[in-house]
Amino acid sequence: MNGAPGPAQYPLLLWPQAASHAAVHVDWLIFAFTAVTLLLTVPIFLAITYFALMYRSGRQVDRGHTVDRNVKIELSWMLIPFFLTLAFFAWGAQIFDVEQHAPANSLEIQAIGRQWMWKFQHPGGQAEINDLHVPTGQPVLINMISQDVIHSLYLPAFRVQMETLPGRYTQLWFTANRPGEYRLYCSEYCGTDHSVMDGLLYVMSPRDYAHWLSQAGSSQSLAALGKKLFSNYGCSGCHGVGATIRAPDLAGLYGRPVPMEGGGSVIADDTYIRDKILNPDNNLIAGYKQVMPSFKGVIPEDELMQLIAYIKTMESSS
Amino acid sequence: MIAEPVGIELVGHFATVSQQREAAKLGLWAWLVTELLLFAGLFLCALIIRIQHPAAVTLAATHLKFWIGAANTAVLICSSFTMSGAIALSRIGWRAGMLRFMLATAGLGTLFLGLKGFEYYQDYVEHMVPFLAGPYVLARDQATRLFVDVYFITTALHGVHLITGVSILLVLTWQASRPHFLARHQNRIEVYGLYWHFIDLIWIIVFPVLYVLNR
Amino acid sequence: MRDPATPHGTIGQPSDYLHARYTLRSWFFTTDHKRIGLLYLASITAFFVLGAIAAGLIRLCLVVPNGQIFTNDTYNKLFTMHGVIMVWFFLIPSIPSTFGNFLLPLMIGAKDVAFPRLNLLSWYVFMTGALFTMITLILGGVDTGWTFYAPFSTTYSNTYVIPALLGVIVVGFSSILTGLNFVVTVHKMRCPGMTWFRMPIFIWTLYATSLIFLLGTPVITLALILLVMERAFHIGVFDPRLGGDPVLFEHLFWFYSHPAVYIMVLPGMGVITELVAAFAQKRVFGYKFVAYASIGLASITFLVWGHHMFVNGQSQLASTVFSFLSFAVAVPSAVKVYNWTATIHKGNIRLDTPMLYAMGYIGLFVLGGLTGLFLATLAVDAHLHDTYFVVAHFHYIMVGGTMLAFLGGLHYWWPKFTGRMYPEAFGRVGAFLIFIGFNVTFFPQFILGYLGMPRRYHVYPPEFQLLNILSSAGSTILAVGYFFPMIYLIWSLWFGKRAPANPWQARGLEWTTSSPPPPHNFAVTPRVDFEPYDYAIKAREVG
Repeated sequence: MNGAPGPAQYPLLLWPQAASHAAVHVDWLIFAFTAVTLLLTVPIFLAITYFALMYRSGRQVDRGHTVDRNVKIELSWMLIPFFLTLAFFAWGAQIFDVEQHAPANSLEIQAIGRQWMWKFQHPGGQAEINDLHVPTGQPVLINMISQDVIHSLYLPAFRVQMETLPGRYTQLWFTANRPGEYRLYCSEYCGTDHSVMDGLLYVMSPRDYAHWLSQAGSSQSLAALGKKLFSNYGCSGCHGVGATIRAPDLAGLYGRPVPMEGGGSVIADDTYIRDKILNPDNNLIAGYKQVMPSFKGVIPEDELMQLIAYIKTMESSS
Repeated sequence: MIAEPVGIELVGHFATVSQQREAAKLGLWAWLVTELLLFAGLFLCALIIRIQHPAAVTLAATHLKFWIGAANTAVLICSSFTMSGAIALSRIGWRAGMLRFMLATAGLGTLFLGLKGFEYYQDYVEHMVPFLAGPYVLARDQATRLFVDVYFITTALHGVHLITGVSILLVLTWQASRPHFLARHQNRIEVYGLYWHFIDLIWIIVFPVLYVLNR
Repeated sequence: MRDPATPHGTIGQPSDYLHARYTLRSWFFTTDHKRIGLLYLASITAFFVLGAIAAGLIRLCLVVPNGQIFTNDTYNKLFTMHGVIMVWFFLIPSIPSTFGNFLLPLMIGAKDVAFPRLNLLSWYVFMTGALFTMITLILGGVDTGWTFYAPFSTTYSNTYVIPALLGVIVVGFSSILTGLNFVVTVHKMRCPGMTWFRMPIFIWTLYATSLIFLLGTPVITLALILLVMERAFHIGVFDPRLGGDPVLFEHLFWFYSHPAVYIMVLPGMGVITELVAAFAQKRVFGYKFVAYASIGLASITFLVWGHHMFVNGQSQLASTVFSFLSFAVAVPSAVKVYNWTATIHKGNIRLDTPMLYAMGYIGLFVLGGLTGLFLATLAVDAHLHDTYFVVAHFHYIMVGGTMLAFLGGLHYWWPKFTGRMYPEAFGRVGAFLIFIGFNVTFFPQFILGYLGMPRRYHVYPPEFQLLNILSSAGSTILAVGYFFPMIYLIWSLWFGKRAPANPWQARGLEWTTSSPPPPHNFAVTPRVDFEPYDYAIKAREVG
């Protein structure tokens, strides 16, 4: 196992630790749903046991006046539990909705899942393998992709997980509020070492996190690394200032709609930019002749993340 | 024209002939529903590929042999007519005419297969077979492979059904050429006809979905 | 014809279907639905044993957290084979192909199914699919999980994926042919007077299951064909490097595989309905609602597949819709549970082995079903997806549900199949052991899942060891429990008490003919002019 002591110190734990407010909300949902479940089912168990004993063959007991159908009863025991449980559908959907929308000021950490390890990159360029350090009190967005098969980043202390897919970015976000050491897993079966593709999630106070960052051995932020790559891979040759080839301006591109050749437009998000670098012939842009070469097999996933981090910082000049 | 007696011989576990006849029809309809769902999955894939890669699909579709496909469509529609003719004649007991129509149907089905084989050969010659080793004419746009591969799988699956259909039809024709067949097993012609019409129907969906829509 | 003369022996009667002929040929070329049902019973039992051995080895391995008992690759192959065998070669065929084949014609007063030779072909196709799977095992196994997700299965796995896929593709045709046969039989072969609403509920659930067989199986056939093409020829539909999408495979796979779990559940519900009515000696409460609920389940089940995909990047709107529909699909199941309870009320209860299994079923199925609702809740699934909570949930339904229904039905209809009674005391002991062993095995897994232990894990964090040991201990009790019926049922074939035509005083056409039935089921074609489960009349007669 990759872990040090920490979570292993709780062998008799019957309830997982919660390290965020959202986790506690999910726990409340579970408690309430369990209570309603018991309300709906314990009477059945009791009734069956009672009837089986009370009406046991041979006992002298009144078995008369039985009815075989009663539409009102049937409809009510269909509809009442249904509407009761729907409350939980709505509650769960509401929490899920919050989970799908990260706040704008989130600290964005890049993650790559591959057989059989995780690589995390903090915006300042600090990288870690399998373990993840995050601060409390600050929304953290994990932007992730897989390098090979489908994996899934699972953080039980926050009650969230999201699969990482090859070819497309997915995200999860959380705001931690309890410092400590927790488990981090891959929860989508991915082959031989699926069960050792785990690590430790270190939740730290903002000061401790800043201290960790400074010790974590990085000289440059992701964006700065990306800027270097932008030049090394020759992107600036067409997309830079003073280029002779007419290429789309990347300044202010991120998050804006891009008009497509066949009509309509596409929002320039991480997946779009990554796809454009690897498959420039897809999603042809209106008003430009497509001459960009493909970088498939040339630029690895973590460098793609650095390039995208840099492109995000390119401010619109106007 | 010499009319023969037409009927169905009762099999042991059925109570009446009409029960037997209806059971056979319902059974084949149930089978056809499953076949429809099988192909529906492929149509869905074709649709999704088109939505995700519209330019690649249009490009790939220009390399399809539209006129062979169109000719094949006409061939199969004709074969459905001849099969209907065979059924009609089986109902009135005109064995010789029915056999001629059945052979014509098999012949048209074989013609379809021949044209399809020629089409596949043309695809091979033009390097339009990305799943085989060797050059692929549209290698620059890998996404075209998706559409081309789905085209091969769909038409090959249809072709397998057609080969099966023609084989069964030939066996059935031979059986029906023996005396007293129509008196004992007339409904086999009808039930088989359902299957043949279905093979035609699938192609009538395949042709627009693959060849026409993407031009 | 409510109580025809029921022969207690076969003197002067035509020989029964079991003893009519003894040759191997008469078994392997039979077109008698009863013999085909027994052929299936033998096959699925053999596969159950194989799948159970795999499960035993898995639980053995999980006793220690560091996975030193088996290598990781071996472990991955074990859980894959456990899933593939149990799902496709035991659970899906279990009740429909054994009880369904045997009882459907009997219960509707027919001489056989609509297409007896097709029925035999079904069994041979099933065995052919099984052969491919055995070949896979012998060659070295497959490690993709029974869900075969791309791109692992298509590009990264180094095991024998294609033979395994071929096995499943072929066995799917067996399902389709059985479903087709049943649908036509129910529509066309009912005896005079047997209207739709006079059929036993078991037939309604078999019919609903057959609809799922017909409509769902072709889609998985296609999905797996595409997977074979992808692995062999790199066609690209599931490979993002070529522009394809692995999530497309998930959609195609789950579109069938969710209804598939209802194939496993619905017939069990039908069996339980028969058991509850027979052992409470009372009409099914709300017969029409229960019948409609069966069809309702088979319909809505096709609309919920996306609840397996809440965390795979699917759109929030899609996830929300699927979550809502998953709550809706629980309604017809709940209907049945309440109706069973109401049926027992004021009944004349006998707690024989089949009834014990039925009552165990009701408890465990309710728990399994409600934990399913937990998983259908979006925010909860974000935590519990792919953890042991899911494993516990589906084992509660599959084992606590379907398996108990299978065993209950097997005991109930054993006298009809074989003409022998099983030993009741041993039956009850077996039922208790299975019930207790099952709960000790799987209840801790709910807790493990909630604590965050992911599934398909060969090694696990040490803090989970206590619960894992508990679960493995339970599996030993469960295994002992399974041995009981395996042994005494076979024993009863030679030494069991001879059974009368209707040992349970139950209603239903199958009990009006001898035990075992004659080859053509009924001496005289039944004519039905009475309602199903007309126990009340008998109860009034008794007083």
